[in-house]
Order: sequence, then structure tokens, then C-alpha cells
Amino acid sequence: MLTALATLLSHYKRHPGQLAMLLLGLWVAGALWSGVQAINASARDSYARAEALFSTGLDRLEYRDGEPLTREDFVRLRRAGLPVSPLLEGTLEAPDGTELRVIGIDPFTLPGDSAFAAASSQGELTDFLTPPWQTRIAPDTLPALGVNAREAPGAEPRLAAGRLPPLVLSPMLPPGTLVMDIAAAAVLLDSGEQLSRLVTAPEVLERAPEGLVLTRAATLVSPGQLTESFHLNLTAMALLALVVGLFIVQAALGLALEQRLGMLRTLRALGVSGRGLVGLLALELVLLGVIGALAGIVSGVWLARVLLPDVAATLGSLYGADVAVTLNLPWHYWFGGLGVTLGGLLLAGSGVLWRAARLSVLGLGQAQAWRAGFYRQLRGMSLAGGGVAAVGLVLWAWIVRQPPGEGLLAGFGLIAALLLASALLLPPTIALILAGLGQLVRRRPLGQWALADLQLQLPQLALAMMALLIALSANLGVSSMVGGFRLTFLDWLDQRLVADYYLRPAPEQFDAVQSWLAERPEVAELLPTRHAEATLLEIESPDGLRVPQLPVGLYGITPGEMLIPSWPLLSTQAGRDAAWQSFAAGEAFVNEQLAIDQNLAPGDRLTLTAPSGRETLTIAAIYPDYGNTRGEVLLATPQLAERFAATPSSIGIVLTLGADEVGLRDALRQRFELGSDALVDQREVKRVSVEIFERTFTITRALSVLTLAVAALALLASLLAQARERRRQLAPLWALGVPRARLVTVQLAQLGGMALAVGALAVPLGSLLALGLVAVINVAAFGWRLPLHVFPGDIGLTLTTAGAVALLAAALPAARLWRTPPRALLAEEGGT
Amino acid sequence: MRPWLAVALLLLTLAGCGEETPSGEPAGFAGLGEAAGSFAQAGPDITLRFPEDHAAHPDYRIEWWYLTANLEDEHGEPLGLQWTLFRQALTPPDQQPEPTPWASDQLWMAHMAVSRGDTHRVAERFARSHSASDSSQAGVVAEPFAAWIDHWQLASHEETSDETSGEASKTDTFAELQLTAHQDDEHGGFGYDLTLTAEGPLVLHGEAGFSQKAADGQGSFYYSQPFWRIEGEVTLDGETRMVSGRGWLDREWSSQLLDERQQGWDWFSLHLESGHKLMAFQLRGGGEDGGNYRSGTWISPEGEPTALAPDAIGMTPLGTRRVAGREIPNRWRLEVPGAGLDLVVEAPHAERWMDTSVPYWEGEVVARDADSGEDKGIGYLEMTGY
Amino acid sequence: MLEFNQVHKAYATPQGPLEVLTAVDLELRPGGSLALMGESGSGKSTLLHLAAGLDLPDSGEVVVAGRSVSTLDEPDRARLRRETLGLVFQQFHLVPSLNVIDNLRLQARLAKRETPEWSAHLMERLGLAGLERRYPEQLSGGQQQRLAIGRALAPRPALLLADEPTGNLDETTAGEVLELLLDLVREAGSALLMVTHSLRVAAPLDRCLRLTHGRLEPPSGAEASHR
Repeated sequence: MLTALATLLSHYKRHPGQLAMLLLGLWVAGALWSGVQAINASARDSYARAEALFSTGLDRLEYRDGEPLTREDFVRLRRAGLPVSPLLEGTLEAPDGTELRVIGIDPFTLPGDSAFAAASSQGELTDFLTPPWQTRIAPDTLPALGVNAREAPGAEPRLAAGRLPPLVLSPMLPPGTLVMDIAAAAVLLDSGEQLSRLVTAPEVLERAPEGLVLTRAATLVSPGQLTESFHLNLTAMALLALVVGLFIVQAALGLALEQRLGMLRTLRALGVSGRGLVGLLALELVLLGVIGALAGIVSGVWLARVLLPDVAATLGSLYGADVAVTLNLPWHYWFGGLGVTLGGLLLAGSGVLWRAARLSVLGLGQAQAWRAGFYRQLRGMSLAGGGVAAVGLVLWAWIVRQPPGEGLLAGFGLIAALLLASALLLPPTIALILAGLGQLVRRRPLGQWALADLQLQLPQLALAMMALLIALSANLGVSSMVGGFRLTFLDWLDQRLVADYYLRPAPEQFDAVQSWLAERPEVAELLPTRHAEATLLEIESPDGLRVPQLPVGLYGITPGEMLIPSWPLLSTQAGRDAAWQSFAAGEAFVNEQLAIDQNLAPGDRLTLTAPSGRETLTIAAIYPDYGNTRGEVLLATPQLAERFAATPSSIGIVLTLGADEVGLRDALRQRFELGSDALVDQREVKRVSVEIFERTFTITRALSVLTLAVAALALLASLLAQARERRRQLAPLWALGVPRARLVTVQLAQLGGMALAVGALAVPLGSLLALGLVAVINVAAFGWRLPLHVFPGDIGLTLTTAGAVALLAAALPAARLWRTPPRALLAEEGGT
Repeated sequence: MRPWLAVALLLLTLAGCGEETPSGEPAGFAGLGEAAGSFAQAGPDITLRFPEDHAAHPDYRIEWWYLTANLEDEHGEPLGLQWTLFRQALTPPDQQPEPTPWASDQLWMAHMAVSRGDTHRVAERFARSHSASDSSQAGVVAEPFAAWIDHWQLASHEETSDETSGEASKTDTFAELQLTAHQDDEHGGFGYDLTLTAEGPLVLHGEAGFSQKAADGQGSFYYSQPFWRIEGEVTLDGETRMVSGRGWLDREWSSQLLDERQQGWDWFSLHLESGHKLMAFQLRGGGEDGGNYRSGTWISPEGEPTALAPDAIGMTPLGTRRVAGREIPNRWRLEVPGAGLDLVVEAPHAERWMDTSVPYWEGEVVARDADSGEDKGIGYLEMTGY
Repeated sequence: MLEFNQVHKAYATPQGPLEVLTAVDLELRPGGSLALMGESGSGKSTLLHLAAGLDLPDSGEVVVAGRSVSTLDEPDRARLRRETLGLVFQQFHLVPSLNVIDNLRLQARLAKRETPEWSAHLMERLGLAGLERRYPEQLSGGQQQRLAIGRALAPRPALLLADEPTGNLDETTAGEVLELLLDLVREAGSALLMVTHSLRVAAPLDRCLRLTHGRLEPPSGAEASHR
């Protein structure tokens, strides 16, 4: 058996290119897949740690007027029987500039087991509670403190704010977080008797105590939920890359089998059983698979390391989720990566094994059967493609019936079905096109030959072309979506951020600041905002009455000369002007998320909880609110203050033309001792927003380009694999008097033409994909829909890319053909 | 003295479930045998003073206020209840932290339980305080008396103190107390709202309040108020009943309670029909030659205590029941020949497991004459270390 | 039609240059036929390749239809093959992507010299009528070689070069194919240079030469006597 295996493997010694191609496919597929999975696993680990932390999953209490809570309040509420626990939160700057979150807790009153689990992973609670106290810290936070893991336990790193209590490692904690006793935190943060907030176990309090606001944990969406769509997106892209990589593998395996059919027959004739042979081939697959997959995983981890800081930054800025910038991989990750790559390989190789199992010893009828086999294959592809398309249709019909915000997975399923169906239908379509063109060029022998020959190559090229189609469509779809998103988002930013400065004074200063500003000559208009939380109790619409019991945010804006013309509205009851008039008179706007989620239309009436009991509002319009994940109701600031006792939030400052910005800023800071972050420049907000946006899609773009590169590799690999065979096909033509230059040209034209055809098919498919992304995936993931933008530039780029990819891939075999001396062609010809 | 478990709890909790303590091996049950260090030491030479000694003694390592009661509702159906506040010093007096906000040197834990038939509801709470701070989540003050953690509290019943009859003086804020504690749970909540009236004097155990706990002289300050008449309301699983009955309050503080070898105890407090009260305990493993160390007090209806020497008490388990996965002796033979007592003490309901941070058994018992089977009294039994 | 003047051809091998053809002189008149015999490795195929302009001599001159092959560039040599020559190979070398009729017409069309009547005639004569829509691999070996012959003759080439055209066929089929080949060459008016190692195959041709170690010799006695 060992001899037989060695014999099988000897093929790769003669054809190292095939081996390289196989391993390359596995490597690329494995690397992209495991890279993305590494990112996902690492991020999920961070979420899990964050969710295990006390500050998430708990209801919180704060003063309605924004005054800080104190220890006094805590004791008072505890003595009144309320199960509240004090939480002190603040940030400290690490020596390397990283912001570290300090959380001070009281382990005795903190609800739930998570508290103790996180607080007493090791050592004694006494040490946690008494000087010198302890700092619980996750190992991946240590680098920020400049401490290595071995020296960490017991170390007391010095920060600007003072020495940290001795470190105790607690891997369960989220990255960048220091947990310590509230007494220690109060000293470090110099917060005196003050608290950040009181927390309780979720849903324990029925209502907030007098003067306090209760924020339910349910309204604080956990990072895991928020980022789910992001990770699903990544996973989908990685899966795409995996599939495309496996196309290469499949092509290489098929070729290796084809060329070894004689050898296999000989081995059978020499007494190796059919089953044994299949076993050997499977063993060979596994051997190659393990090598390729391991290489893939190693590179994947490297890729993840490179991408992770970007991903972490994106998730951090987009969702406020803390994700470790160093990889943190659970053991199952490694097996998972190996498993998926090997599983994919076996799937790709199953066809080969099946064929080997059915191998006839005498090899009779094989040569004659291929054409019928090819037609059977085309028929099979058409049927399968039709089937998958039908599944896609069913999914689509189902999604349409789903409430908005649901069906994210089904949405991805739909897109997968769309891609797969298109890929499967591609070879039959190309075959049809070729047959049709063949009719057209009957008079041109070389053209006719080129088309017929292309049809003959189709079985070998089909997979690579399918890969190219998928990659091109995905690329076009993604870039259309990102481009459209970008346009919409930038417009929206311009519309929403109308003031030059945004000021966030302390609540007790709010009124004073506002009146001071109103007197300043530099100020053209003030746009104070307020914020409150409420529960949506009832919806009264023409369809009837519903009771959603949904927590919503209430925002107050100031409709004025600046805001009204620019604030975007999606739909109104009676036109823009009327909507703004009603708004000023006390009617509400709701954001698109809430409207889609609750199926609201202008004219519907909402009843919300309010300090006075309940308040009923009529919806005057719906406005877009990109990037938000929550339902929001918008009211005029004075109305919100009066009816919902909303806390002041910020003041937008519109300056007069040519106003002295620096003077105003300085005067403001001097007069009110504002913190450095209280005054925000609108330009800065825009810059940061755009930066966040760009980062969000960096990864998506990078992955789609990588996928395209993989598809190009697949094509190149397929072409190289059959280059020898091709030359054998071309030699007689050359002998018949077709000059080599023309042969090379025809070759390039064949591939370029085919690729262009694929590119042309990718254009509608990519647009459909973009539509699916903005109209299905986006709605399901974020709750808002994007307008579909078509970018001719992107389409042109897609076509160019397709042609370029094909020509690049064809260039190497063509160059070889060009360089091959005629005699060598003949030698090959003779060497059958 | 059930209280050790208190400490037990605290220390176990502190020790992260007893995985490691600085001294290596846990000393005694739940670390109660730890050496006193710079803490104040209980000894026979100190005289107790009231009402001052009703308050907390932060210089001692551990302390508790421990109330049990045998009650009946309007239909004569028996109920039991427990309310306990434990204090544990986090640091020796010479190492107290600066009184910065939130800094603490004292740790508080409270247990409450209501039992009726096979129902047994238990809750516990924790808090911290600094002995230099006057407003805290938990604490005990002497005048007027108040012991609290959150909204659970045992405090002087000031409104009615004028009408108090009996031996307590009109100015004794300890003579009439109000006990309030409620806890929400998935069964509809439980708790109580009770008035406690002292119908007898405070009883000092051992040597004028110094109670020896081991043959080598370890001990604690220990006094009781066993003469509470109790009236009020008890809520169980959301259902409130009017109740009345008798209660027993134990006060104990110490810095080293147990001998290092003692691993648990069995403690009885009985209200006998004759009007006598009996407190008796054994510490398993702390006696001469490693035997059990026994002690107790025989209390006359007027409150006159007679200390019982180790060999004056007989305690023999007669039968066990399986409770919470452990074999718990729920039937005992309790003999005090000097008082002419030969009792079989039995827990009618064995399911009285206190499933708290440090678990133990605490429940109502009925005492019958060993020969005649005649009812002799009721009381409470606490067993730890099983 | 075809002339070799003092043609030398050597190939580089790891053991040094290998002289394949040495001072070969040869002449074939239009319409004439010549059999070239020799052992394996005697240089027969090389000579044929030089005649087809598939390869160039190291020295000497190969003249095809009055043009010296060495003076032609690649495209012109290709054109020469397309328009003047027909090639029949031992391995047939049909184009698998084209069906029978398109294979037959391929070279004629490439040379823009297709005459449908002649093609139809060839199909008829070659016994391929009715098989137009088949693909090469669906034909028997004899049919495939006949198709290859048809493809070479379809443009009515001035010179047909055949390399062991019956080498892959069984004896009976070989006989039939050979007979057909000679008939059709005559009908087409082409000259024929055929490489073979079989006396029986060489016999019907006008002349016969033997290549031995790269030198052209008159036929041996046996061959002469057969003639």
C-alpha cells in the first residue's frame, strides 16, 4: 500500500505545479477563512467578557436633573429596601496613552453571580476590600500598562493619577478595563462621595424612585447583539473566499486525477483493489489538506493580527464595543479552522474520489464518453442552478412577509442562493452563447475553431469562471453598497450637523450658558437639545390599536432657520412645511428605525410614559437616522422639556458670518470653566464620523478585493494546469499553417472574451446583490434602508477587472506558447 | 452561639470559598479558630455594661445579634423564624484604613428565614461600613437600640416603650423592639413585622458573660434575652398571618471563638413549659483529649442563670435524616441530670437547611420527656459542620 | 515541387550535437510521389518537418513550390503550409472541438480555398458521408485517419506530406486507407511525400528512397526488386 501511495504521489514530483496549485488553493481558502474566523472569535471573546461584566445587563439609576449620585443616596435607597448597588466609573490614561476604564464596585450589593465571578477569580475578597486593595485586570490589558504577564501579579504600576492597587489577573474581564473595590476607585478617580450610577438587577424595580431616571438594561443593547450583523457580514465574505479557494482545489484535483487515470488503471491491473485506491486517494487528500490547512491557519492568524486593530477600532467607534487588539483564540478555533478547511477539501475532492471509485480497469469508452458527460454536466448545472434559484425565490417571498429587522440570516441565505444559482447557471449560459456565436462565424474557420475550442475548454475553465463571476459580483455589489452608503451618509451628516459648534455644559450650568450665549454677538442661532427616555405604550393607527411596550429615546431639537431647511425627512403627512409647523406645535417625528420596526406612518398617534403619567403625540413625519440602532422620537426641545421633564443635553451654536470663533471659545471656557471635551467643533464631528465610516468598510473592501485576487488565482491555476494540453491542441493548427502569433492572439481573445462575458453577467448580478444588501440585509441588520445607487465607474471597473484578470491569467501560458520553439511544440505533439 | 456560622460565612466568603487562606489550613470551622492578633481579647476579667454592650464592638473580630422565634398563627399552626446580623472586622484595629469614602473596616452579613411546615424560605444580605462613619448601609447602635442592614432592622419600639410593663426599665430601649424584614422572591415574598417585648431580664452566660468555648480557655462574651414575647405579622409566599409566640436573642462577640481543632457544633435553645429556659451546646472536637466540649446555662423562670459544666450535659444523636445531600441528626437525647432533664429533642420538619454562602442547619424543635413522651417545650436547634 | 539541396540538420543533445540529416539531396516533381523509408530515428520525421517548414535546416536549402523555406519568415512559412501543403500525421491530430465536416474543411477554409463540391466529393470518397455531425472521438481509427487525409486534401495542396499515415491502423484498414490516399492524391493532382517504414506501403509510389543514419541512399536490392 505504501508503494501504491508513493506511486500516486510520484505524480506530483513530475508535476510540482499541480501540487503547488492544490496547496495554494487550500492555503488561500484556509487563510482567508481562518483569518476572519480568528477576528470573529477574538471579538466574540471580548463581547462575552464585556457581557459578563456587571455594567452590562443591569438596570441603571441616575438623577433626572443630571446631578451626580452620592454614597448618601445609596445608603438612603438601600435603607428604603431598594436593591441598588453603587458603581463608579472613570477613565485613567495609561503610560502609552491608552484610555483605561476604571470600574469601582461594591461586591456585596452587586447583583448576580457575574460580579463575584469577576471580582473573586482568585485570592481573597478581603484583599479586594481592604488596603492596598486589588486591581482586577485581563492579561490582554497588561501591555498598555507596560507590564509583562509574568511580573503582573502583585505589580503596582504608577499612572498619572497614582499607583494602581496590586494587579490580579482576571481573564474574564473585558480588555482595557480595571475593576477594583469602589473605595480604591474613589481614591484613584478622586471622586469623593460621588457615584457614576446605581445599578440593579434587571426588571427588579418597577419604577424609578422620586427624582431618578431608570434606564432598563434591555434598552442598552449588548455589543454582541449590535455587532452580530457586522460579524455575519465578515463570515459571509470569508465563506465566499473559502468557496472560491476550493474551486482552485477542485480544479487541481480534477486535473491530477485526469492525468493519473492511466496510472490508476495500471495500479488496479497490478492488483490494488478499487476500494484501496479510493482510500489511498482520500489519504492523499487528507495529507495535502492538513498541510494546506495548517499553512492556511497560520497565515490566517497572521492576517487577523494585521486586520484586528482596524476591526477593533471600527467596532469600538461604531458600536462602542471594546474589542481586544490582540488575538485571543479559544482552543476550538484551531480545530474549527482545520475542520472547515479539511471538510471543504473533502467536499471538493469527493467528485474526484467518486470518479476514481467508478474507474473502469480497461478504460474502454472513456474517450468517447466525455462529450456526453459534459452535456450531462451542463444539464445538471442548469437543473441545480434552477433549483437554487427557486430556493432563493422562496426565501425572498418569506423575507418580504417578515417584520422589518428580522431575517438577517435569511437575507444572507438569499444572497448566497443568488450567487450560487448564478454560478451554476454560468457554464450552461456560456455554452449557449458559444453555440450561438458559432453559428454566426460559420464562414470564419479560425473564429469557428476558437469558439468550438473554447467550448471544449469549458469543463476545465467552468469552475474558475464561476469563481470569477462570484468574486466580480460580490466586488461590484459591495462597492455599490459602500459607495451608496457613503453618499447617503455624507449627505445626512451635512444635513444633521448644521451648527458650527456643539456645547455640552454641565446640567446645572445649562440655563446660564444658554442665556449667556444668546447675548453674544457672534451667535446667530442657538439649537438646544434635550434627551429623555420613555416607554412606548400604545400606537393608534388606522389599522387599530397596538401596545408594544417598547423603550424609546426622546430627543428634543430646536426647529429654527438653520435646522428646518436642512433636516432630512423621508415622509410627511402633509408636506415639509406643514410637518415643521406641526412639529413646532407639539407633534412628533419618529426615526426610520422606529417606523419600520413598528410599522408607523405619519398621522399615527403614539402614547408614551411621561412623568405626568402618559403623553400622546401625533407623528408628523419620519426622518432618516443612519447609524442609530434604537427607535427615537423627536420633539421640539421646549415641548420635550415641558412634557417629559427631559434633561438638557447639548446646545448647537450657529455662528454669524465671520464671527470670532477663537474669541467666543475662549470667553466661553473662561466664563464657565468648561471641560476640554464640552465644546465640540462640528467639522471635527464630521471628520471623525467619516473616519469611522471609512474604517467600517475597510475590512469589507479588503476582503472583497482579496476574493477577487483568489478568483484570478483560480483562473490562472486552471489555465496553467491545462497549458500543456492546450499546446498539444494548438500544435496541429500550427502545422496546418496558422502562425504562432495568431494562435497566441486567438488564445487571449478566447479568454478575454469569456472573461468579459462573465464580467458583463456580473454587472446585473452585482447590482442585484447591491440591491439585496441595501434593501434586505441593511434593513434586517440596522433597521433602515439605503437608496440604491448605481455607479457607472464601478461597472466599468468590474468589466475592466474581468478582462484584466483573464488577460493576466492567460498571459503566462500565452507567453510560454510564444517562447516555445516550434520544434518543442512538435516534440510535445509527437510525445503522446 | 449559632453565630459561628455567621463568621463562618463571612470568612468563607472572604476566603473565596475557602480555597486559600494566608495561614494555609483553615483554622477551625470556617476559620473561626484563627488567632486573635491585635484584636481585643474576650476574657473573664471584663464586666459587661448595658446598654453600651448592645452596640457593635469593632475591636473584636466577630460579633452577632441572633434572634430565633417559635410562633403560632391564629389557628395554632406553628411557624419558626430567624433573623441574624453578623459583623466581621476586615482588618485588625491597628490596620484600619483611612476613612476615605467607601473605605471599610467592617463587613456585615444578615440572614433571615421563615419556616412553616415543609416550607423554609431563606435570604441573606451583605454590606460594608467604616467604624468611623456614622451613616452606613448596616450597623448597630445602642441608644436607642437599632441593628440594621438595608431595610431589615431590629430597633427599639419607641412609640410603645412607655406602656412597657415587666422588669425592663422605662428608659431601657432594649426592652421593646420592633423587627422588620422583607424579601422578594419568586414565591411571592416573605418577611415579618413583629413587636418583641422582654418578659424577663438579660441572661449572662458562663462566667458573668464570658463563655468558654474550648477546654484550653478560648471563649467569647455571650449574653441572651430568652424572654421575648412576640406579636405581629409574618408573610410567607405572599400570604400574611397574625402570629404570636416566644423569641430568643443571642448576643456574642469575640476575637477567637474556637479552638483550632473544632470543626462544628450543635446548639440548643429551649423554652420549657415549666417556664425554665435551657441553652446547651457542644463543640465537636474541642474538648479534653480531642473530645466534644459541652457547655450550657439552665435559666430559671425569673432569669436566674446556672452555668452548666461540660460533664453536666449529655448530648446523643438518636437518628439522622438526609437533608441537602447530608446526614443531619434531627433527633437528639439531651440530658441535664442536675436539672432533672432527660429529653428527646426532635425537629418535626427536617428541611431547614440554610442554603446561604456558608450553609448550615437551623430550625424549630420540640422537646419531649425521654420516658413518657410528654411535651416539655419548644425551641431552636442549630447544627454546623455537617 | 520539393527540392533538398545538401541539407544538414543536427540537434543539440546532452552528449553533444547529433547529426540527424547529412548532405541530403532530394527532388520531387509536381504530381510525383516518393516514399521515404528508414528505421526509427533515421531522420525521416525531421526530413518531413523540414519539407513542411515546421523546422529549418542548419545548412543547405529546402525549396518548396519554388521558394526556399529558409528565406521565409514564420508567417510566410505558415502561409506556405496553409496554401501549398497538406499534412497527414500518424496520430491524426484532428481538432476535437470541431465536428467531422468542420474538421475536413478546416484547412481549406484557413487557406480560403474551399470548394464545397470537392469537400462533398471527399466526404463521399472517404466514406464519411452521413457522419458530418459526429465528433472525431466518435469515429473509428480508420475513419479518423481518412478524415485527416480529407482535411489535408480539401484545399487541393500542391504537395501532400504524410508521416506514417497508416502506422496506427490494422493491416486491412491500412490497405484500404492507403489505396484511398493514393487515389485521392491523384484526383487532387498533388505531389506526395510519404514517410513509412513499411515496404508494402511504399510499393505503390513512384519512387522510394531509404534514409540510413541521416544519409539518403537508393533502395536496397529487395526494395528494388519489389519495384
